[in-house]
Parts: sequence; C-alpha cells; structure tokens
Amino acid sequence: MTGRDDDRRLEELVDGIVVLSSGDLSNRLQVSPARDGIDAVTTGINLLAEELQSMYEDLEVRVAERTALLEAAKAELRRVINTDELTGLASRSLLQEKVAEAVAAAGADRQPALILLDLDSFRLINDSLGHAAGDAVLRETAQRLGAAAGAGHLLARLSGDEFAVLIVDREPDAVLEIASRLGESLKDRIVAGGVAVALTAGTGVRLGEPGLRSEELIRDADIAMHEAKKRGRDTLLVFSAAMHEAAKQRVHLVAELRTALATDELELEYQPIVDLRSGRIAGAEALIRWRHPSMGTLAPDTFLEAADEAGLTVEIGHWVLGKAIAQTGRWKSGPGLPAGFSTHINLSPADLHHLDLAPYVESLLARHGVDPGDISIEITETAIMRGGPEVTATMQSLNDLGVRIEIDDFGTGYSSISYLRTLPAAMAKIDKSLLDGLTTDRQQESFVAAILQLIHSAGLGAVAEGIEDREQAERLQQMNCEFGQGYFFSRPLPVADMTDLLAHGNGAAA
Amino acid sequence: MPDKDLDSPGGRDISSLDFDGDGILRLKWARGVVIDAPNAQLAMDRVNELCGGQPTPLLIDMATTDSVSRAARAVFAKPCDASAIALLGSSAVDRVLANFFLGVNSAPVPTRFFTNSDEAVRWLTSQGHDRA
Repeated sequence: MTGRDDDRRLEELVDGIVVLSSGDLSNRLQVSPARDGIDAVTTGINLLAEELQSMYEDLEVRVAERTALLEAAKAELRRVINTDELTGLASRSLLQEKVAEAVAAAGADRQPALILLDLDSFRLINDSLGHAAGDAVLRETAQRLGAAAGAGHLLARLSGDEFAVLIVDREPDAVLEIASRLGESLKDRIVAGGVAVALTAGTGVRLGEPGLRSEELIRDADIAMHEAKKRGRDTLLVFSAAMHEAAKQRVHLVAELRTALATDELELEYQPIVDLRSGRIAGAEALIRWRHPSMGTLAPDTFLEAADEAGLTVEIGHWVLGKAIAQTGRWKSGPGLPAGFSTHINLSPADLHHLDLAPYVESLLARHGVDPGDISIEITETAIMRGGPEVTATMQSLNDLGVRIEIDDFGTGYSSISYLRTLPAAMAKIDKSLLDGLTTDRQQESFVAAILQLIHSAGLGAVAEGIEDREQAERLQQMNCEFGQGYFFSRPLPVADMTDLLAHGNGAAA
Repeated sequence: MPDKDLDSPGGRDISSLDFDGDGILRLKWARGVVIDAPNAQLAMDRVNELCGGQPTPLLIDMATTDSVSRAARAVFAKPCDASAIALLGSSAVDRVLANFFLGVNSAPVPTRFFTNSDEAVRWLTSQGHDRA
C-alpha cells in the first residue's frame, strides 16, 4: 500500500469522523482488507460509535419508559385530586375548575347555577353511630343526589357533609326544581349502623348572572347555604344581594371584633342570682358586652355567632374566664363575697372541646386567689348533648377541680332525661321560655313543677332565669325552685354597680 | 463438524469447528465475516452441542473477521460450555476487536487475546480442563 493510498484512507477516516461528530452515529467507516494500523483505528472508531449509538438508544428507551411512568403517575394524581375518595364524586378542586369553565363558556348566554347542600345534624350521626355509619350515610347521600340531579350535572362533595351540584344550561325554574328534588331525595330513611336515619339538608342556590365570576358563584351559593342552615333544618334559600350585604357586614364585624379583643372594647356585666328562699344574693352571671365605638353597647347575640364563624369563640371564652375569675378575686378582697356566692360563667361548645380548659381554669383560680367553689360554669343542654366524649371529659375535669357545673337553658334542647343523673352537674337553669304563662296557665305551672321535680330527683339544684315579676318569683319559690334571676331582681350590672351591691346590699336583693 | 451443518443458513459464516489433537475446540470464522447476534448465537449453539455439557477449552480464530457487533458481543458474554477462550488474531484490527470485547463485556470464563497459536494453546492447556 502506497503512502498516497494511506493519505487517502486517512482522509476518508477523517471524513467519517466528521460525519459521526455531526451526530450521525449510524455512520460506519470502511475497513480495508489490509487490516493495518489505519484499519485498527477505523475499527475502534466504528466500535465506539456503535457503543455510543447503542447507549443513546437505550437512554431514549429509558426516557420514554420514565416519561410514560410520570404521565401515568400524573394522571393518577389528577384522578385523586379530582375525585372524592369516599363517594367517588368530584372533588372541590374539580368543581372549581368546572365552574370556571362553565362560566367562561356561558358568555352572555344562559348562565350556570350552583346548588350547595349541607346535611343537617350530620355530626350527630358520626358521634352516635360511629364514622363507618357516617361514611355509609355519605355514600348513600351521594347516590341519591346523583339520581335526583339527573345526568349531565357535575356532582361534588366539598367537605364532610357538604355537596354541590353544578347546573349548566337550565332556566332558573328548572334549577330550583332540581334543588328541591335534591332535598327531597334525602328524606327516605337511610339505614346506617343498624339504625334508620332521616336526613334533611340546608340548601343554598346561586343562579348565575352575566358577568358573575366563578368564585363569586361559589361564594354566593355558600352564603345562601349558610343562611339556610341558620334558619333551621330542611331549608332551601336562593342567594339574594341582601345576603351578600349581611355576609359582608359579618366579615366587617369579625374584623372589628378582633380589634375589640385587642383594645379592651369587650367587658362583662353581672346579673345577680338570688336565693329565692332567703332573698339573698347567691351569685352573679357574667354576661359579655361589646362597647362598640359607633354602634354603642352590643349584646352577645349580635356578635357571638359571627365570632363562632371566625373561630374566635375560644379566644373570647378564655377572655371571659380570665376577666370573671379576676373580678371574683377582687370582690373576695373587697367588699367580700356573701356565703355561698358564686360567679357564673358561660362556656361555649368550642371551649369545652379543649381538653386543656380545666388546667387553664385551675391556673386562673390560683392566680387570682379564687376558690373553685366560687365559680360555676354554665354549659347549655344542647352543647352537652352534642358534645361527645371530649365535652364529658372536660366537664368531669372541671367538676373534679371543685368548680360547679350548671346545665344552662334546661328544657330547650333535645335531651334524654336519663343523662341528668349521670352528668357531673350541680345545678340546672330553667330556660326563661318555660316561665311564660307560669302564673296564668295552670297547665304551664304543672309543667314547670314537673321539670323542677325532675331536676331535684336527679339531685340537682334549680335556677330559674327570666323572672320578671314578684308573682313569678313567689310561685317559683313555692314550687321549691332554689334560685332565680331576672329583671325583677336586677338587670345585668356594670362591675362598679355589682361591687356596690355586694358592698351595700347586705347580701339581699330586690 | 459435518459440511452440511456449516452450509446451513448462518453456518456459512463459520469456516470450521472441530477438536484438535489437544482436545481444544477450534472455531474459525469465514473470511470477511461480519459477526452479529444471529451468527454469534449459532456458533455458540454449535460449540455447546459439540461440548455436550462438558467444560471445554475454546480457541476462536478471528483473524479474518470483519467486525463484531455489540449484540454479538453480548451473546459471547453469556455462559457456555467453554471453560476458557483464547481469541486468536494476527492484525491490529483483530487486537482492537478482541480487546473491545474483553474491555467492554465481562467474559463468563477466562478469556485472552493471542497473536500466536502456540501461545494460545499453551495458555488454554494451562487453564486445566477435562478435555485439554
């Protein structure tokens, strides 16, 4: 082989390498029959190119496999995100997506509508029959709502017992008909945990309007649903502008309430409780007031509901406990408390769900030099009945501490009489609604007598609230009701007046 | 190895396959053969057939092979009845081909490249086998 040949072969080799380096790894260089050094280099380059090509191909296959796995995982994730696991319905996120799509697609044409339903008293089912039964009820609810809504509407479960139906391309009348059908579909009893339960729901409807954004559609349906829940069981309400205004005011009120807590605009008044047998002051119920800078003094019923919605209840409950126990400590130091006197403090169900409530009360008592017997905690009958094991545990802890427990609003809740004997309570307060007609209606008098007898049979003392005149007070005293409070004795008093009463009232009221 | 076998499809790539007097099985590829996965597998099958399950020293004369594909190298890397393999070549090309195999693939049995047949036989014999 001549040197010229070698030059040519080397040139071909270089050309081949240039092709390979341009990315065409399939190119192979010609090996001559000489099998000399140039051929050896050529062979080596061919082998390396093949190796590289093969590695790239493997890599591409692996990338494709991994991409397919990722795509599958993404699809599965999307399915999980879009589906409510328990019922198989759409999730909140999918509903939001579909509402946005429906609003966008509607343009100026027929607008989508949203129906929200929240089951009434569902927590009772969970608490009394267990979560498995609760889940079975939710699954059955989902099926019934699906059947009632009919095909073509997106049905979603938004949270625990809250469902939504997105209605597209229907006249308002048809939407309302569907909403009503949804509520009706729940009324046939559902067997869960071996018990047949009847369901109702609070239903809120928002009919779409041109220009209404998807988040506004959802928000307004929610406002209507919450308003329906407030009005009682089995209520259907269609959103109105007034509802939005009220909701806005509530939001404003909550913001103000947060400021009020921080700036000491809240205060307590005390309504004396009188021993009907002796006429002496036996205690005082602490009642919260809000000295609103522009609206004047607000009673608790005007702001506690909003506080509850905003999650401020526990903070307010702690504030009340702190103030009332501190005040009791100050009264103890001067002018002193009459024998058997106790300050009555109302606690909400939310307060009672906190297992650290009893230690908190204990620390306040110690800090302010107050005996546990100087304090009574009032808990409504409904809170006790719906409270579940945490509330019972908290009541027991408070009782163990020596703080008296009083059942508030007795006779207004749905209670089983047998619980009266098992509760760690010392007193029951008869709701003022039971005093209507006490002195004019024989039947009502017998009824109140029976209730008092029931309370006494359970070993509890009785307090009657809302006493407005001497006749009522005397009648209750004759019926062996031990304690009473109401405007007849005294309105709720500012701290200074209550202190004055304790100092100069000589323990006597009215 | 009967001629008809070598004449079968793919068999033509093998020039000869038989035992020598030392009990070494010798495989000689046809001139200019391109060894790819099918003919590599055929050669392996033939080798195993002749070995009959007995570990046997194998001498592969690759002096005239044109190229060995990646897939073919993978076939040679599988366990077979060979107890040791001597790759016999003569040119720089053979050395590159053989060493690429030795470097990239891990041979299942002792494998070395030789340019001298006697040395290859000595090495195979020294490996100690039933037949050799």
